[in-house]
Amino acid sequence: MNEMQPNTIGTPVRFPFRLRTDGILARILWAIGLSIVCAAGLIALADKNPLVAFSAMLAGAFGSAHQIGVALNKASPYLFAGSGLAICFRAGVINMGSDGQIAFGGIGAMATIMAWPGEPGLAAVIVALLAAAFCGGLWAGLATAIHLGRGVNEVLVTLLLNFVALLFVQLVLSGVLGQTGAGFLQSPLVPRTAWLWRVPLFDFHIGIAVAALGAGLLSFILWKTPFGFAVRVAGRSRLATAYAGFSLAGITWGVMLSAGALAGLAGGTEVLGLHHRLIEGFSSGFGFKAVTVALFGALEPAAVIPAAIFIGLLETGALSMQRQIGVPSALVVVIEAMTMLFILIATVRRS
Amino acid sequence: MIDFLAAAIRIATPLIFAALGGILSERAGVFAVGLEGMMLLGAWAAVIGTWGTGSEMAGIAAAAAGGAIAALAIAIVTVRYRADNMVTGLTVNILALGLTTYLMRILSGSNGPVSVHLDPLPMMPVPGLSQIPVVGTLLFSHPPLTYLAVIGCVLLAFVLTRTQAGLLLCATGENPEAVFAAGADPMRIRMLAVIACGGVAGLGGAVISLQQVGTFTDGMTGGRGYLALASLIVGRWNPWGAAAACLVFGAAEAFELRLQSYGIPVSSYIVQMAPYLIALGVLALLGRTGKLPAAIGKPL
Repeated sequence: MNEMQPNTIGTPVRFPFRLRTDGILARILWAIGLSIVCAAGLIALADKNPLVAFSAMLAGAFGSAHQIGVALNKASPYLFAGSGLAICFRAGVINMGSDGQIAFGGIGAMATIMAWPGEPGLAAVIVALLAAAFCGGLWAGLATAIHLGRGVNEVLVTLLLNFVALLFVQLVLSGVLGQTGAGFLQSPLVPRTAWLWRVPLFDFHIGIAVAALGAGLLSFILWKTPFGFAVRVAGRSRLATAYAGFSLAGITWGVMLSAGALAGLAGGTEVLGLHHRLIEGFSSGFGFKAVTVALFGALEPAAVIPAAIFIGLLETGALSMQRQIGVPSALVVVIEAMTMLFILIATVRRS
Repeated sequence: MIDFLAAAIRIATPLIFAALGGILSERAGVFAVGLEGMMLLGAWAAVIGTWGTGSEMAGIAAAAAGGAIAALAIAIVTVRYRADNMVTGLTVNILALGLTTYLMRILSGSNGPVSVHLDPLPMMPVPGLSQIPVVGTLLFSHPPLTYLAVIGCVLLAFVLTRTQAGLLLCATGENPEAVFAAGADPMRIRMLAVIACGGVAGLGGAVISLQQVGTFTDGMTGGRGYLALASLIVGRWNPWGAAAACLVFGAAEAFELRLQSYGIPVSSYIVQMAPYLIALGVLALLGRTGKLPAAIGKPL
C-alpha cells in the first residue's frame, strides 16, 4: 500500500515526521493566505469589517518602533524553543514539552538571581541564563529518560510533564521562590541590575539576538556536522540510521537536550528580560507556538527566525486590533492553528 | 468513603467518554492526541446548544456534533492527507481552544466572555436500585451522563469484539492491507472511526460543561483529554481497562477536593500533580509490554 517500515532497533513504533521540501515557501505562503481568508470569515461573523480589522492589525504591528519591539519580545521565546523543536522534528522526535522546559528554565533563572550573594550583576545574569538552560535540559532529559528507558511515546511523556512543570512553578512560587504577601503567585522582582539589556528606541531585550544566534548555530550543526547528518538520516529512515551505525538513542538525547536547553533559555530570558519576575503560568501555550514557528520555518532553524518574528508581529497586531475595534485577539490562535493544518496538508509527502 | 468513591466516578465520567472515543480512534490506527480539542468543542457546543434551544437533549446532541467536527478536521488531515497524527491532533486542540474562546467572546458582543449560566444536570437516582445500601449510593445515584458512560463501556466492549464492524475496525489498526484485501476500504473505516471518536469525546465535554459546571469557560477541559489518552494506553486499548484507569484519576482528583477537609499537611499543588505522575509512572512501569495496534500512526 505504501512504504512498509520495519520496526527496528528496539524503539517503539515511530514513523519519521517529514515535510516535502519542493516549493516549500510557496506552500507555506498559500497556507497562511488560506487561513487569513478563514479569519476574515470569522471577523465578519463578529459583525466587523475584515479589511478594517486587518488594517488595524497591520497598524498595530508596525505602527511604531515600540510596537515592533513588543513583537520582537514576543518572538524571542518562540524562536528559542522553536529552533530547538526544528532539530527534534528533523530527527523524528516529536517533543511537545517546550511548555514545561520553558517553565523550568524560568525557575532556574529566578532561583539563581534570588540565591546570588550581594548585588547581582552581569556575572549573575550569565550564570542565571546557564542555570535556565541547564534546568530546561534537565526537564527534557527526564522526558528522554522515560521515553528511551521505558519505551513510552515521547509525545505523551512530554505532554504529561508539561502539566507537572506548570504545577511545579506554582509549588515553588507558593514556597521558596514566592513573594510573601503578594496576594497572588509570583516571585519577588529581579533587581534592576540583573535585567537584560534593552535596545533603545525599540525597547526590546536582547533575548531575540541570543535566540537568533542559537538558531544560526543549530542550522550550522544540522547541515555541516556529523551529528547534524545523523539527525537528518534518523528523520528520514530508522533503518538507514541503524545500518550507518548511528545510535538512535544518542541522537534522541542530543536533540532533546539541545531543545530543552534552548527552551530553558526562553524561560530565563522571559524572567530576566520581560516580566522581571517568575509568574504563574508564564509559559502556558508557548509549546504550541514553538511547534507553530518550527513548522512555519519548514524545520530549518535559520528559517525559524523570520517565522517567529512573523508570529510575534501577528500577535502584537491582534492585541491592538482587539483594543481598537473589539475583535477578540483569540482570533490569532485560530489563524495559527488553521495555518498549521493547511501546512500539514500541503507539505505531506505522498508516495 | 462511599461518597468519596461516588464522587470519583462522577469526576471520572468525562475521562471515560474521551477514553472510549480514543479507543475507537487508536484501534483503527490513528493516535488520539486530539481528544482534548474534541472535548473542548463538545463542551462549548453543549452549552451553546442548551442555551440556544433550552433543551438539554439538544445540547448533548450538539456536543456530540461539535466533537465530531473537530474529529473531522483530524480525519481529513491525517487519514486523507496522511499528515503526522501527533502534530495534527495537537493543532486541532489549539484550534478548538482558539475557536471556542473567540466565538464565546463575539457572542457577548464585547471582549468579556459571555456569561451563560445553566443549572447543572440534576442527579437522577435509579428508582428502587438507589435504595440499596452502599451499592445504591455508589452506583445508582448519579447524574444521567454518568450512566451513559457505563452503557458506552458495555457497548464498545461488545462492538469491538463481537461485531463485524468492530473486528474490521481493529483489523484496520493492525493490518490495513489485509482489510483492503478483504474488500473493505481502510481509509473510510479510519475516517469513520475518528469521527465517531469525536462524537463520543464530545459527550465527555458535555459532561464537564453541562453536568459538572453549568457554564463554559475558556479551555475548561484543562488537560483531561491528555489524561484520557494516558488512561486508554494504561488500559491497553480495552474499554474496561481504560475506564478503570480513568477511575484512578477520578479518585486522585476527588481526593484533592477533599484534602482541605481531611486536614492533611500536603501542598495542594503536589496533590494536583498526582494524576499526571500516576499516569507517567504506570506508563513507565508498563513500558514496552503493551501491544500498540501494529499500524497505528502509519498513513494509508
